[in-house]
Amino acid sequence: MPGVRLEGLTKRYGDVAAVDGLDLHVQPGELVSLLGPSGCGKTTTLRLVAGFLRPEAGEIHVGERCLSSVTAVVPPERRRMAMIFQSYALWPHMTVAQNVGYGLRFRAGTSKADRQARVTEMLRVVQLAGYESRYPGELSGGQQQRVAVARALVVEPEILLLDEPLSNLDANLREEMRFEIRRLHETFGITTLYVTHDQAEAMVISDRVAVLHRGRVAQVGSAEDLFQRPRTRFVAEFVGRTNLLDGVAAAADVVARGSLRLRVAAGGFAPGSDVVLSIRPHQIELLAPDGSAPAGHNVLDGTVERVSYLGDALDYQIRVSGSDVVLRVTAPPPARCHPGERARVAVAPESCVPLSGAQEE
Amino acid sequence: MDRSLPVWVLAAVALVVLMALPLGWLAYVSVSGVEGATLAHYRRVFTDPPLQKALWNTVVLAFWVGLASLLLGAPMAWLTARTDLPGTRLIRGLILASFVTPPFLGAFAWVMLAGPNAGLLNKIYRSLTGADEPLVNVFSMPGLIFVVSIYTFPYVFIMIANTLELIASDLEEAASILGAGRLRVALTVTLPMVLPAIASGFILAVLQALALFGSPAILALPAGFHTITTQIWAMFQYPPKVEMAAAFSVPLFLATALLLLLQKRLLGRRGYATVGGKGGQRRRLPLGPWRWPALAGCLAVMACSIFLPYAILAKAAAARAWAQPLTLDNLTLGNLALTFGHDGTRAAIWNTLELGVMTACVGAGLAALLAYTANRRLIPGHQFLAFLTLAPVAIPGIVLAVALFVAYTRPPLMLYGSLWILFVAYLTKELPVGYSQSDATFKGIHPELEEAGRILGAGRLRVLAEITAPLARSGIIATWCFVFIGVIRELSASIILFTPNTKVLSVVIFDLKEEGQFGAIAVLGIFMLAMTFAVVVAMQKLLGRDFVSVKE
Amino acid sequence: MGIRCRRLSALVCALALLTGPASAQDARLEAARKEGKVVWYTSLALSSAEKVARLFEAAYPGIKVEVQRTGSQRILQRVMQELQANLKIVDVIHTSDAGHYVLLKEKKLLLKYTPAGVDAFPPGFKDRDGYYYGLRATVNVIAYNTKLVPASEAPRTWKDLLDPKWRGKLVTAHPGYSGVTATHVLALVHLYGWDYFRQLAQNRLMLVQSAVDPSGVVASGERPVAVNGGDYTFYQVKKKGNPVEMVYPREGVPLVVSPTAIAAGAPHPNAARLFTDFTFSREIQQVLADTEGLYTGHPGVTYPADKPKLGELKLLQVDAEELEKRNEEIKTRFVEFFGA
Repeated sequence: MPGVRLEGLTKRYGDVAAVDGLDLHVQPGELVSLLGPSGCGKTTTLRLVAGFLRPEAGEIHVGERCLSSVTAVVPPERRRMAMIFQSYALWPHMTVAQNVGYGLRFRAGTSKADRQARVTEMLRVVQLAGYESRYPGELSGGQQQRVAVARALVVEPEILLLDEPLSNLDANLREEMRFEIRRLHETFGITTLYVTHDQAEAMVISDRVAVLHRGRVAQVGSAEDLFQRPRTRFVAEFVGRTNLLDGVAAAADVVARGSLRLRVAAGGFAPGSDVVLSIRPHQIELLAPDGSAPAGHNVLDGTVERVSYLGDALDYQIRVSGSDVVLRVTAPPPARCHPGERARVAVAPESCVPLSGAQEE
Repeated sequence: MDRSLPVWVLAAVALVVLMALPLGWLAYVSVSGVEGATLAHYRRVFTDPPLQKALWNTVVLAFWVGLASLLLGAPMAWLTARTDLPGTRLIRGLILASFVTPPFLGAFAWVMLAGPNAGLLNKIYRSLTGADEPLVNVFSMPGLIFVVSIYTFPYVFIMIANTLELIASDLEEAASILGAGRLRVALTVTLPMVLPAIASGFILAVLQALALFGSPAILALPAGFHTITTQIWAMFQYPPKVEMAAAFSVPLFLATALLLLLQKRLLGRRGYATVGGKGGQRRRLPLGPWRWPALAGCLAVMACSIFLPYAILAKAAAARAWAQPLTLDNLTLGNLALTFGHDGTRAAIWNTLELGVMTACVGAGLAALLAYTANRRLIPGHQFLAFLTLAPVAIPGIVLAVALFVAYTRPPLMLYGSLWILFVAYLTKELPVGYSQSDATFKGIHPELEEAGRILGAGRLRVLAEITAPLARSGIIATWCFVFIGVIRELSASIILFTPNTKVLSVVIFDLKEEGQFGAIAVLGIFMLAMTFAVVVAMQKLLGRDFVSVKE
Repeated sequence: MGIRCRRLSALVCALALLTGPASAQDARLEAARKEGKVVWYTSLALSSAEKVARLFEAAYPGIKVEVQRTGSQRILQRVMQELQANLKIVDVIHTSDAGHYVLLKEKKLLLKYTPAGVDAFPPGFKDRDGYYYGLRATVNVIAYNTKLVPASEAPRTWKDLLDPKWRGKLVTAHPGYSGVTATHVLALVHLYGWDYFRQLAQNRLMLVQSAVDPSGVVASGERPVAVNGGDYTFYQVKKKGNPVEMVYPREGVPLVVSPTAIAAGAPHPNAARLFTDFTFSREIQQVLADTEGLYTGHPGVTYPADKPKLGELKLLQVDAEELEKRNEEIKTRFVEFFGA
């Protein structure tokens, strides 16, 4: 089971670089998501890996094989990969069995009977036993999705590519399918690249998530890594909601904005330098107006501006006294304070994460 | 390297040869004189009074046909698309029928209907009123304009009806809620949105009129005037003035190209689909007491283009003397015998079928390959490919024929005298239609369907054969039918390129017309119509139970 | 026409057998059979041409006649276009424009061949160099629709046609298409000069192409009077029961002798000779006279009683070489006056 290495990968459309010197290593058997907003280059990257596109620079290696370089691109049909498309791309003129069995015809040494057996088995795995002779047009969206999955897995590819496979499903089904895909990955252990713009989906499914921004990998890591320790403003904003705070280092471990001062655990700033902090709303503790916080926590006083009820949580907007900062704070119900009232919050220094790339918008 | 590359490159090269060779020769011949290059032919074209007159006649004809087509096509489009007019399906079917009726057959039928003295309508008019003068004289410029228009207005109709269907009623209703009256809504909201379609429908009609040969030959020549096309044809009479014909072709070509350019700009790059209020409801305007008068109006137009002409053709086919009442005495099968008993006619029918099938097969195939190549961007310069394929739209049939005659009566390719030159002419002429059709087909097939095959291990050609082709099947069949219908009715190029061994049906009809053999023409005309409608019906059947649902 | 036609062909068959071909002819017949067909470009009206072709095929089974019927000028156009493209298609060329043969002879496009039995033909039917011979003849006449024009009011002379009362009521064939008409135009130009046509054009004529077509136009009543056209075409239409009558103007009638010749590049030369001989045989010449109403050069042919004899008519004759030389002039001036 080989892994995938993308090195310095670049693809331009006209003057625009869709992928711009992208590096990424995927370990054998690992499932890595490419996460980013539309236009970040994630689909282009996937199509480069599939061999549908020729890179302008950089290389793609699978195990020891170099599949794409500027000079030579192994065509898709000889890459031993499989792909699941956003549109499922099921062939409407073939039955479910024909769809699923198609790829097996190009795998040497599989007899017809053998192929049939494997198709039946795979359809059982995706819970579509008995649907062999249906046409795709006769299936529901979720069933079509399963056929697409079966068609990709039955050929036992070295690499599996998924291009936003769940985006056409309704919300409940999508959630169900996330676990299904994760289950299948754990069953088959195929090295997988998974493209999505949905961070929850990426987090549930992947071993690691690569956040793409402007054709490059902004950060790659486990879901927790990205959430707890975002490295750039872009990642912090894109993965989950956050409070961003532009300030100046007052000391090696203190960031100031106006009269507001915060102690930061991961300090080491050059005093006077610009610093951006990310503070997750749920890591801010809402205290009683005169309550006390654990020792070492930053304690801030302010006024409640707005409270929104979200069902399983409440979202407070609190203006910090003596500054222009409005912090968003998430806390479970019931509501503990109301607009216009004074409030006090506490933030652990560990929860104040300094970001690089302060100059980025 | 991609092993399928030669296929795409070959198709592209075939296309370039197909286009460049004749047009190059045409340009060359138009400036070649006895002593080297000369502009003398052009000078004559623009200074010789009879030729100037032919030019002017063409301008007059084209303009009025454009206008008349608009006046017929636009209201009918609106009535069928946006109101509760009864019998909409019937009207659409009839318009389709007039669309596929060869214009020269219509012109021929109208000679029998509205010849100033023997024409049936004039006879009836005279016997009813006792008047001396005819009601209508088809052998005149107004007559020609009328006859051409009733077979050209479907272009305007289709253009505008398609656009109207795309405009959601909410756009109009939004205006009504803001207080605009019905007429105001029509003028301020609906009209501006269909204006590009109206203008481009007008241009399409003008283009048709410019390129037409059969109708002017049948109606203008007896009245003693020429159009550009009949003049070019006359230039081929002995001693042939091919250089003059080539030079005279150029203004026609340029005018056509210019109009096409204009149309493209009018429609904009995204075409008239931009007006789409997607998925919007279209409610039909109630006509109230006007329903039946409106229907009568539509049917009156269809009577002119379908009912009356077909009826008189049927009568002429069965009568000894077409101008006499259809009594038992006057009934005969002789026309059938004369027509189908003649070897030359039978050979022409075979030639026509052979050419139709051959051109349709190769044309649909080539158009599909080219459209596929351009759609999937398989070779560098694919944008140029689309342009080149569509270029023959700008070449009127008779100009194309002159170009092909010049190109293929000399080495390296001596095609004149064989069916091949007709084949090449038809192929070139029908390629734009085939291409547009194929282009739409491939645009409807999601590239991911092919990519799914590729990634699972199938090569490009295999994917083309096993996945793309079956999915494109009905689209390709439709292309085939369009090309076939186009070929069997083709006259303006054939009239220059045929030889006695390679006569086709349309040329036989034209020959018979010159001899005044009304009965035989009617028989052949009906035969041609029957063939056309058989194909149309087959096509609709095929497309009707199409199992491929195109994903949006 | 069925029964009559069959009886005729049986007759021809019998004749062909009775005359008993000599052995030289046997060899020629054999060669012609091998060639299998003869391609005939002809300006003879389609039904007449088809009839001759069927009779030949009946007389010589195994040799087909491919009839390509169109106007005289179109035939010349095709012959010349095919020459330019180096195509050898045509065997026998038959048009109604004697001028064509002067041109074709000059360009060495004709095969020298004297058909059997033409010695007795009058001089006007024979080329002095022996390349072409008149297969048939017709005269241009005025014709009118008897239902629309009473005999008392019908035009009697060519000059009568200039009367403005005929405005919008006349039809003419086109010299740019029809050799019969080109000959007619030249003959009347000799008589009255181009001015005649300038004046005639004032009457707004309907233009048709073939010299066969005016008969149909007059029969249908589309135009009540034809200002030209071969008398045989009117004769046939009249025979079919149409209300058509002919006028042979006393100024004279333009005689049109329609020659036939074998193409130098004929792909089926033996069949072409055989066919040419056949068409000059008394039997076929008689068929042309009887059923088609044509005149011929054959001295043994008898004519229907209801047609004037050639000898009774004042004939306006045109010199073939002049017709060839003035071909372009005739067409150009005609177009100038009549518009197209």
